[in-house]
Amino acid sequence: MSNTGAILKDNLWTSNPIFMQILGICSALAVTNLLVNTMIMTLGVVFVTAMSSFTVSLIKQLIPRKVRMIVQTLIIAFYVIIVDVLLRAYLPDISRALGPYVGLIITNCIIMGRAEAFAQSNPPLASAWDGATSGFGYMAVLLTIAFVRELFGFGTLFGYQVLPDAFEPWIIMVTPPSAFFLLGIIIWIGKTIMNREGAPA
Amino acid sequence: MNKQSIPYTMLFTFLISFLFVLLLSFAHQGTAPLVQRNREIARQRSVLAAIGISVTEEEEIRRRFSEVEQLEREGMTLFRSEVEGRTVYAKEFSGAGLWGPISGVLAVRSDLERTVGLEIVDQNETPGLGGRITEQWFKDQLRDLRIVDGTVRVGPPGEGTTDKEDGMIDAVTGATRTSESMGTILHREIRRIAEAVGEEI
Repeated sequence: MSNTGAILKDNLWTSNPIFMQILGICSALAVTNLLVNTMIMTLGVVFVTAMSSFTVSLIKQLIPRKVRMIVQTLIIAFYVIIVDVLLRAYLPDISRALGPYVGLIITNCIIMGRAEAFAQSNPPLASAWDGATSGFGYMAVLLTIAFVRELFGFGTLFGYQVLPDAFEPWIIMVTPPSAFFLLGIIIWIGKTIMNREGAPA
Repeated sequence: MNKQSIPYTMLFTFLISFLFVLLLSFAHQGTAPLVQRNREIARQRSVLAAIGISVTEEEEIRRRFSEVEQLEREGMTLFRSEVEGRTVYAKEFSGAGLWGPISGVLAVRSDLERTVGLEIVDQNETPGLGGRITEQWFKDQLRDLRIVDGTVRVGPPGEGTTDKEDGMIDAVTGATRTSESMGTILHREIRRIAEAVGEEI
């Protein structure tokens, strides 16, 4: 599992955090109605997951076992606040649009999951790569959901009008329940393909 | 030193918290002036937008805003500007929305015959539903709307109104509570501006 290709395939597909491990669902429901917000938010998650896994791996020998998880939380919170500060300073409009969701990256189970499951027992660079690819797996699913929700909920993609004016937006797509349906469909499709490939489901 | 011992755990926890918090304070201090400037620009742009001056360039915003007069009345800050030969007053407001405060700027003519414009600065309403109060069509309803009986009302459900003389605006579909909040806020703010200006006229 130390080779980079295997980690990539694992995190993007065979154990994708969203549709195989069903982690990080709250944000998959909350921030997927506009592609721009989803993009920035998931980039934030990629950054935080990679950096916190890297840091945890770097100092893992020094962390006493008793306070292991609270230290991981501290490290994750640190990087999340860094993202928040950077957005507020350099991308104020997006920072305003994301509102509390940036801070809520801290509660994303994927990040803690990778720190605990991978970074605690692997070297720093491999951990950073594992974190980043987990983030990409998360990003791929969220962007797919956001694509459908923005298209039918607003008639736009990345804020650009793509459907004709006569199109009546579907309010259901704007509200969180639509993400439940879409996520369910994505899990269904993913598992079906995986079963066909003969991989363990 | 035994890494699982209590003294080591305490020392480690203290040091690592200290280190990360120190780094965060630097990041925060380093970007504070930029964040402050972004906030001020956003505020100036909103005041100008409410008065009916739409500018996006930072230099232009500063220049046009410096032409706006600021007055202190009854503990409130009012902005006064001449637009097309008429005196216009603008006031920043903040009121309760559905999920959190809604803040913005309301501009009215000095004779309180008509509103001039509305700008929403910050809100946490449901994206796609209550959040639509930030959309142009909603704000444009306050453009040159006649103030009837000293207030602006949110129209009854199911009946659209495009008449600028009836003192009514449309609610947002699916966002009854947010629309009611906006009605309350507008009513109160028109009163407040009237009180503040009434003394002067």
